Amino acid sequence: MIYLRLFAAFMKIGFTSFGGMSMIPVIMQEMKVNQWMTAEDLTNLIAIAEMTPGPLGINCATFAGMQTAGVLGGIASVMGVLMPAYTLTLGVAVCFAKFRGNDIMSCMLDVIKPICIAMILAVILNLMQENYFPNARIDWFGCGIGIVMFYLILKRNWSVPKVITLAAVLGMVGYGVLGMA
Amino acid sequence: MKKEKIKNGLMLFAFFFKIGCFTFGGGWSILAQMEQEFVDKKKLITKEELLDMVAVGKSVPGIMITNISMLFGYYVGGWFGGVCAVLGMTCPAVLILSFVTAFYKVLKSNVWCYAALRGIRCAVVPIMGSAALSLGKEAFRKKMAVPICAVALVLCVFTDISNVLMIVAGIILALSVRAVKKAKGGQMA
Repeated sequence: MIYLRLFAAFMKIGFTSFGGMSMIPVIMQEMKVNQWMTAEDLTNLIAIAEMTPGPLGINCATFAGMQTAGVLGGIASVMGVLMPAYTLTLGVAVCFAKFRGNDIMSCMLDVIKPICIAMILAVILNLMQENYFPNARIDWFGCGIGIVMFYLILKRNWSVPKVITLAAVLGMVGYGVLGMA
Repeated sequence: MKKEKIKNGLMLFAFFFKIGCFTFGGGWSILAQMEQEFVDKKKLITKEELLDMVAVGKSVPGIMITNISMLFGYYVGGWFGGVCAVLGMTCPAVLILSFVTAFYKVLKSNVWCYAALRGIRCAVVPIMGSAALSLGKEAFRKKMAVPICAVALVLCVFTDISNVLMIVAGIILALSVRAVKKAKGGQMA
C-alpha cells in the first residue's frame, strides 16, 4: 500500500538525518528509487519548502507525500518523519537528566555530520548539472543567477525568502520576457 | 486525565501552532521565540534548561525543532504535552503545504510561473551550498571530520550506495571506535 510505503520511507528518512538540509539527500534518493518524483519536481520541492513557513523537513515530507498520493499521502509522510520525535525523543525526555551527561549520541553525530555534508555536496553537484547545464548545454543566464545569489547569501547575509523572491523575478524576466532558452 | 494536563496541552498546541505559522528559516528563529515566551514571560523554564534541551534535541536523530518541542512539551505537561507541542508545530506546515501542493500543477503549467520556478531553481544550489558551509564550520572542527567527509563524497559520487546504509555504517564505525578507545583506557588504568 502506497501510504504505508510513504510512511516507512519517511520514517527511514527521519531516523537517518538531523533535520534541515541534511534530509534533502535522503529524501531525493528515496523519491528516485521509488520513482515517486522527477528531478525537476525535487528541485522545486526544495524551493517551495524554503519559501513556506515551518520546519524544512516537515514541509518536504508534506509536499513529497501529497505529490505522490494526495492528502492522505502527505499525512502518512509527516507521521513517518515525526517518528523519531515520538519514540526516541520521548524516551530521551523521560530520562532527560541521565541523558545530559551521555556522550554516545555526540560521538555518533561526529561521524554522521561529515557524512551528511558529503551527501549534500553530492546533491549540489547533481543539481548543478541539472539546473546550469540542462541537455548538455550551458545555461549562461542560470549560472549568472546562481553566482549572484551565492554572493548575496554569503557576503550580504540575505535571508532565504528574499533570495528566492529575487530569483523568481529574475527568472520571469530572463526566461519569460527575454525568452532565454 | 487531569484537567490541568489538558489545559497545558492545549496551551502548548496553541503556542507552537502560532509559531509554526510565521516562522521562516527553521529552527533558530523558533528558539528565540520560545525563549521570549517561556523563559522571559511565563518563567516556566530557565535559560540553561532550554539550552540543555537544544543540545539534546540536536543530538537525537530527526527534525531538530520537533525534537525540542517534544522535550519541552514533556517537561511542561508529560507525554501528552509533548505530543501536543509536536502536533502544534506540525499542523500549520501541513496545512500550508497542502494548499501549495494543490496548486502546484496549475502553477507549473503557467508560462510565467514556470519561468519564475526556473529562476528559483537556479537559486537552490547557492542556498544549499551556504547551508553546507555553515554545517561544515561546526562539523570540521573535529579532525576526523574532513577524511570522513571526503570518503563519503567519493562514495556518493562514484557509487550507487544508499544514503541510509552509509549513515548506518558511519554510526557502527563511530560506536566501535568509541568501544575500542574505552577498552584501551580501561587497560591503562
